Amino acid sequence: MSGPSTEDIERVVSAALGGDRHAESQMLVALRPGVLAVLRFGAFHRWVDAEDLTQETLQVVVERVRARTIDDPRKVFAFAAATARNLALNAARKVLRQQTVVDSELVDEIAQNLEMEPNDLSDSDDRHLAQAVMTLLDELPTPRDRQVLVRFYLDGADKQSLCRELGLSPKHFDRVLMRARTRLRTIIERRAPHLALFPRITSILLPIALSFTFWVRDFGSW
Amino acid sequence: MNSLDRHSLEEQTRLVSRYVAGDLSRSERAEFEAWLVASPELAAEVEMERRLRRGIASAARRGWLKRGTQTPLPSVADQRWRFAVAASVLVSLVTVGVAVVVPERETSESSDTRVAAVTTLARLAAPRTVRLGSVRGFGTSPDVIVTRSDMPRELTIEPDVMVLTCEDGSIDLECAGGTAPRTPQYSEYEMDVVYRRDSSLALRSSRQLANPGTLLSFVVSDPQKLQTGDYDLLVRGHSSDHEEVVARFWLRITDQ
Repeated sequence: MSGPSTEDIERVVSAALGGDRHAESQMLVALRPGVLAVLRFGAFHRWVDAEDLTQETLQVVVERVRARTIDDPRKVFAFAAATARNLALNAARKVLRQQTVVDSELVDEIAQNLEMEPNDLSDSDDRHLAQAVMTLLDELPTPRDRQVLVRFYLDGADKQSLCRELGLSPKHFDRVLMRARTRLRTIIERRAPHLALFPRITSILLPIALSFTFWVRDFGSW
Repeated sequence: MNSLDRHSLEEQTRLVSRYVAGDLSRSERAEFEAWLVASPELAAEVEMERRLRRGIASAARRGWLKRGTQTPLPSVADQRWRFAVAASVLVSLVTVGVAVVVPERETSESSDTRVAAVTTLARLAAPRTVRLGSVRGFGTSPDVIVTRSDMPRELTIEPDVMVLTCEDGSIDLECAGGTAPRTPQYSEYEMDVVYRRDSSLALRSSRQLANPGTLLSFVVSDPQKLQTGDYDLLVRGHSSDHEEVVARFWLRITDQ
């Protein structure tokens, strides 16, 4: 997958900071995957609706960019990440506040909802993913690499002890993981492309809709 | 943040696994997330790391993958050891064979009991530890599957569910004075294993003191005694005046 580079995104954000509305839309498209990833994998991911909060985050970012209180694109990145975290924290607080009822069916229900990750894969997608991983494991050049992945991801073995046990350097270990991710992406793109769509179609449409909303709000008509 | 420089991409990519596993410190995480926002490539990498974890877990649940069965590739020295061990095993087998062919007289009852015990032990696989936390099963599939054909002697559940709070009990990214939250939300935790079919309590662990930085660890010492079927693993937090289910996982015991 080839997306915009960090340098490209910095240029776009600079232009948006300069008041370029077209660049603003591009900025929203470019920042969305990262913001979504922060919300999906961040500290409070269990408690948040990542898609909703991504939109809220981008809204806050756009407002801040328009207010011209930030002058450095890199600060926009940090601001977006911090905003995503804070919104997630607030969402988590809200949910945890609701957990004060003890020993009722409600508590169980809440606990269940809390602890289940959003189910973003159907059974058939889950199978596709498992098949892709099996293909990846079969294709690995050495049994040792295969062992690294299985022991690390499945058994939860830690990196240091695995390196010691298998006689690997930490660098080699990292390389195995990086290559595995890259290869998995290729396999998934070939076999189940919808699992690899990142950003998904919503990541294009939502920022456009968001920019459009701001445009209508600012100019009052369309 | 110099991590935005292009040359540090490799370094940042190395952090992906630790990030998805929730192993980064607060400051590392903040820095990594700013980088994540600026790099769709890195975001895709994070996504793929997650897919890899889920895919491996899914393959294991489907029985396509044996966990931790392979041994390291043997070096020459290892091979020598192997020959030595094989020779020892051979000698032992011959000794046992002689002992069986020329048995001592003993009561048939005690002999049967011993054989049964040995058979049961032989059937049980090595103890298994399952960490549940950052990567969890999907809502439609169990978090842990144990098959009778590969039943571990002991099943240890390590749920990463301890929420750390500030000293005043507030949940925040940063506490007063800029310190990180480090007080466990509950002082003690316990785990119930509840059989879903009739909501009966199959097992209740003893309470464990919460220790920041250490995962909770609940041991199911005789998992083979659990009936086949689905179970809820309920992790409950206890304080002096309050208790709460803080996590629920899904355990499935299958025959095959």
